[in-house]
Amino acid sequence: MLAHLASFAWDAPSVDLHALAPEIVVAATLVVVLVIDAFTGEEQRWAASSVAGIGLLVALVPVATLAYDGATRVMFGGGYVVDDYALVLKALFLLSGYVVVLLSTNYIAEGDYWEGEYYQLLLASVLGMMVMASARDLISIFVALELLSIPAYMLAAWRKRDLKSDEAGVKYYLMGVFASAVMLYGMSVIYGYTGSTLLAEIAPRIGELVTSEPIITLGIVFVLIGFGFKVSAVPFHTWAPDTYEGAPTPVTAFLAVASKAAGFVALLNLIYVGFWGRHDVYEPLMWVLAALTMTIGNLIALRQTNVVRMLAYSGIAQAGYILAPLAIAGSSPEAADQALHSIVVYLLIYAAMNLGAFAVVMAVARKTRSAEIDTFGGLFSYAPGLTVAMSLFLFSLAGVPPAAGWFAKIGIFQALASAGDTSGYVLAVVVAVNSVIAFAYYGRLMRVMWMDDVPDGDTTPIRVPTSITAALVITAAVTLVIGVVPGVLTHFTDPINLLALGR
Amino acid sequence: MFGLLVAQNIAFYVIAALIVFGALRVVTCKNLVHAALWLVLVLAGVAGQYILLAAEFVAVTQVLVYLGAIVVLFLFGIMLTRAKTGHDLELDNPTPAKVGAGVIGVLLLGVMGYALWDAWRGQELGDIVVQRTAEVSDSLFSTYLLPFEVISVLLLAALIGAIVLARRD
Repeated sequence: MLAHLASFAWDAPSVDLHALAPEIVVAATLVVVLVIDAFTGEEQRWAASSVAGIGLLVALVPVATLAYDGATRVMFGGGYVVDDYALVLKALFLLSGYVVVLLSTNYIAEGDYWEGEYYQLLLASVLGMMVMASARDLISIFVALELLSIPAYMLAAWRKRDLKSDEAGVKYYLMGVFASAVMLYGMSVIYGYTGSTLLAEIAPRIGELVTSEPIITLGIVFVLIGFGFKVSAVPFHTWAPDTYEGAPTPVTAFLAVASKAAGFVALLNLIYVGFWGRHDVYEPLMWVLAALTMTIGNLIALRQTNVVRMLAYSGIAQAGYILAPLAIAGSSPEAADQALHSIVVYLLIYAAMNLGAFAVVMAVARKTRSAEIDTFGGLFSYAPGLTVAMSLFLFSLAGVPPAAGWFAKIGIFQALASAGDTSGYVLAVVVAVNSVIAFAYYGRLMRVMWMDDVPDGDTTPIRVPTSITAALVITAAVTLVIGVVPGVLTHFTDPINLLALGR
Repeated sequence: MFGLLVAQNIAFYVIAALIVFGALRVVTCKNLVHAALWLVLVLAGVAGQYILLAAEFVAVTQVLVYLGAIVVLFLFGIMLTRAKTGHDLELDNPTPAKVGAGVIGVLLLGVMGYALWDAWRGQELGDIVVQRTAEVSDSLFSTYLLPFEVISVLLLAALIGAIVLARRD
């Protein structure tokens, strides 16, 4: 009997607890928030937000020790990799999660929403993003995508007595699961053809074909389109504006920054490690998606009268800029390297400037109870600090020095030029034209804030809560410091490399 | 061996025809409860195909999860909400939407069908490898340990969120 059992013996996987420590800390924080919430009364509700914030900061400690250690840790036969690239992105997700907690604290406490549960779902979503940064296996990528998306669907509907919020949640959910289904079909086809779920094993098998088989093209296109929904690339963007407008504003900030970044991380993992050899498939797809996304996003943003919707469409346009380097990534290893760095740098800077812009919108909406552009009129006369901060973030989004955005945009141009072929140059021109269009609507909001009169003459100053002030200070400092001394950022992003595993 | 394969092929096509018929009925019938019951036929047929492929664990999971949980959930959802349970003529889309959906459906079928046919035409499966359930569990707790653990967090989060969104307050 024992011998029979022993014949079923399996090798226990080697689990590197140090490498998994950031994820374990976040998961443990989730459980602690759950327990605190279950065993304390109404008057201790504030504890959930504090514990969630502290947990996210504590999880940065193992990220720092792993980065200091510097070794690339590979687990589960290559399915889970903790390297410089993954660590930089985990730090991004943890920090943007922390800023979102700061933004949420007053909003959720004052709005009579479910509080403990809100932070539990937020932590679960951040955990999914962290797993995504390390996932190098189709199944891990899918599971991480679901873990980051499903709590986000529910958070979008958190103002559940408001029909707009319900609409936001349902739209996001339906489009999201539809995209997941398309993506899963693509994954199943790729697995069927290559016989492996590991990206590092898929790459040689689909890369060695001289031309792409229809089945491989179909699989890659379906998988990439699935993530096109996640990053709200045109024509898969239709959910984004309604969801952004209806969802609670801190959740909108979370979706526009962290969730979008996670989608890009998945695209990078898939393209650089798995589909690398098939640039004849993904390059044209990314080219079209990038050009459409930035152009249509910008053109619709021009017509918006609501700041949150404007930021939603500007976010769509920004996603187009971030997609652009993927359109030339396969032309040479140097171009690939440039493209990877430019995307990661853009994601980090985009997180800081966009979260900052949302923080200002939330602070102003506390007084005006609205996010219409008109209500920002004369903001400078009664809230000069917020106006200066918003101007900094808008300059950054438009790519004007000294705010950080210029450095991100230069990176995109360098990457597009590094390919040295027509498609790269044409796309660079498209990016340049779009940057000019974007000036129009960023500039309009700026003009309203600095020049216009206060709409109802009410110039009582805005009382900004401490947590939003903290979020503003963090994001503004990051935006300004990176803009003036980009070396601070490139120090962390220079060592990253994804290609080593794919070949 | 040859006889077994022939029998298997016949069974495959019979079940496949049933699945296609059931799937068409799901989208065409005018009664929501009947549509859910036709879905049972589709999902059970898929389970049957898994058994033909000697993937017993997947087949059992398909029956447990899809037939046992998801369709039952559909039926509960229909009956506990104020949805009409009888024959409902409004359970239909306008003609342009139907035509559009039909065209897209046929196009997708053509593209996906051609890609599949092109990739695996003329390939014989050879001996069917029976995957023991023990092997599935081995890989679940070694290679795929991390996704397995991540799913447990996912279920916890889904549970919390579902309770918050569904409860009346």
